[in-house]
Amino acid sequence: MRFRSMGAREIAAGVREKKFSAAEVFEECLRTATDCEDRLSALAAVTAEAGRIQAKRVDEKVAKGEDPGLLAGVPVVIKDNICANGIRTAAGSRILGDWVPPYDATAWSLLADQGAVLLGKGSMDELATGVSDGSAAAVAAGYVPFSLGSDTGGSIRLPASYCGIYGLKPTYGLVSRYGMISYGSSLDQIGPFTRSVEDMELVMRVLARHDPKDSTSVSKNEIFARRTNTLKGRRIALVKEFMDFSPTLDQITADAMKRTIRLFEESGSEVIEVSLPTVARYAAACYYTIAASEAYTNFARFDGVRCGRAAEAAGLREMFETTRSEGFDGGVKSRIIVGTYLSEPDCYEKYYVAATRVRTLIAEEFYKTFDADRIDCILQPVTPSLSGKIGELNLYTLTANVAGLPAFSLPAGLQIIGPRWSDGELLDIGLEVEKISGAPKIAYFLQRR
Amino acid sequence: MKLNGDDVRAIAYEARLSLTNAELEGAVSYINNFLEMAGRFKELDLKNVEPFRFAESRECPLREDKPEPFAQAPDILAARCAADAGAFFKVPRIMEE
Repeated sequence: MRFRSMGAREIAAGVREKKFSAAEVFEECLRTATDCEDRLSALAAVTAEAGRIQAKRVDEKVAKGEDPGLLAGVPVVIKDNICANGIRTAAGSRILGDWVPPYDATAWSLLADQGAVLLGKGSMDELATGVSDGSAAAVAAGYVPFSLGSDTGGSIRLPASYCGIYGLKPTYGLVSRYGMISYGSSLDQIGPFTRSVEDMELVMRVLARHDPKDSTSVSKNEIFARRTNTLKGRRIALVKEFMDFSPTLDQITADAMKRTIRLFEESGSEVIEVSLPTVARYAAACYYTIAASEAYTNFARFDGVRCGRAAEAAGLREMFETTRSEGFDGGVKSRIIVGTYLSEPDCYEKYYVAATRVRTLIAEEFYKTFDADRIDCILQPVTPSLSGKIGELNLYTLTANVAGLPAFSLPAGLQIIGPRWSDGELLDIGLEVEKISGAPKIAYFLQRR
Repeated sequence: MKLNGDDVRAIAYEARLSLTNAELEGAVSYINNFLEMAGRFKELDLKNVEPFRFAESRECPLREDKPEPFAQAPDILAARCAADAGAFFKVPRIMEE
């Protein structure tokens, strides 16, 4: 088990310096995945054949003296809603059937261009209900040093937190979503899972590129150039309204909050309290209105004509209805029904347009608070409860998606949320915390005995 | 206002969905919980508030609006549901509706 605990940076350096080959790394990671999969089910598909070809290509480049890229020979898992050319992509849903995308998502092609090698597609629940659980588990168990997920209301930060690893929901617009199967288009972001802050930064430097194929993509790669190697003088905010929920916090999360607050204070940061009353009261309603409306539009494309599953039926309505009814599960249907209802003339103004206006108030409250109080980041738990029901879990995460903010979840079940485009600074803060607290360890208990 | 099963079945019809009884029960509960939560918007005066947009959307680099070759078109046609329609996507007859 030579490579299992290695980070992406160490593997890429070793491959470049010919200490070991990309093929060796890939075969060992594949064995780890094979050993653990019967207990973990982290992968929707293992891409052994494609991965071996990619690893061979990296080794050939190294042999010829060509630059194999920043991620030379680093195995990766990508969530099953991110397309890779020629690899079945189902997004956890029957509706896509055995669809094989004929193109790469930009995020995956950026990684591949830098020598990353695809080990598999991360499993997920269906479409709108699907957190990036497989991608997170694959990193925690040491199949791969990093993976990609997507976060619409917490789907990166929640599984990262449960698995004790890092997860970044980047600022909206920083990473292209081209080739990702959309859920809530104004909320969705692709982001990485890693076991170290150093690897998170490496992967983000590769991913943060302007992409003309995603009209929301903005060129901001320079945000990872700055370095502030201290916590001294940082202003860390606790949100009063979310701290009010603290009696309901699981003990393990409450203890982690106390420890981390003390860590910041002892390192010379100033921990202050701020109030975000509009965020606390209206963000969830705003999120669910916008997410359902956008899901309704995005999932209208699954009709049995363009791609994926198609039911046999004589007429058009029957074909649409049978395809969609057999293809979607109940949770997705419920969201589509809410979105359909919100599109009706009576409801459109009352709920959807109102939500877009409330979203302005929420974003302004965040922006003003960051600015007026000169706050570097907000510290709060990722979830109020480790064992809450679906729908209650993401109360603390969806706020960052509503306002388009970056949010970095730390292995202790906490997240730091910063102003827009502060992704680099959040990683700087995370790195200093990691120097004191240590990096997460691999979940070896999952290995077959 | 609460919606009942008949209301939700009517909305599902518009969305081209049919529901099992268990799915209907789940959807009624989901939409009513949602409406209760979204009812909070009434507490706010939103008359002079602009709908949300990201400031950077104004900075988004625009490309020239001109057609470009798209190499994957044959592959996308090959991956469609009905592959026997030449250069087209095939749909059932609509005149029977």
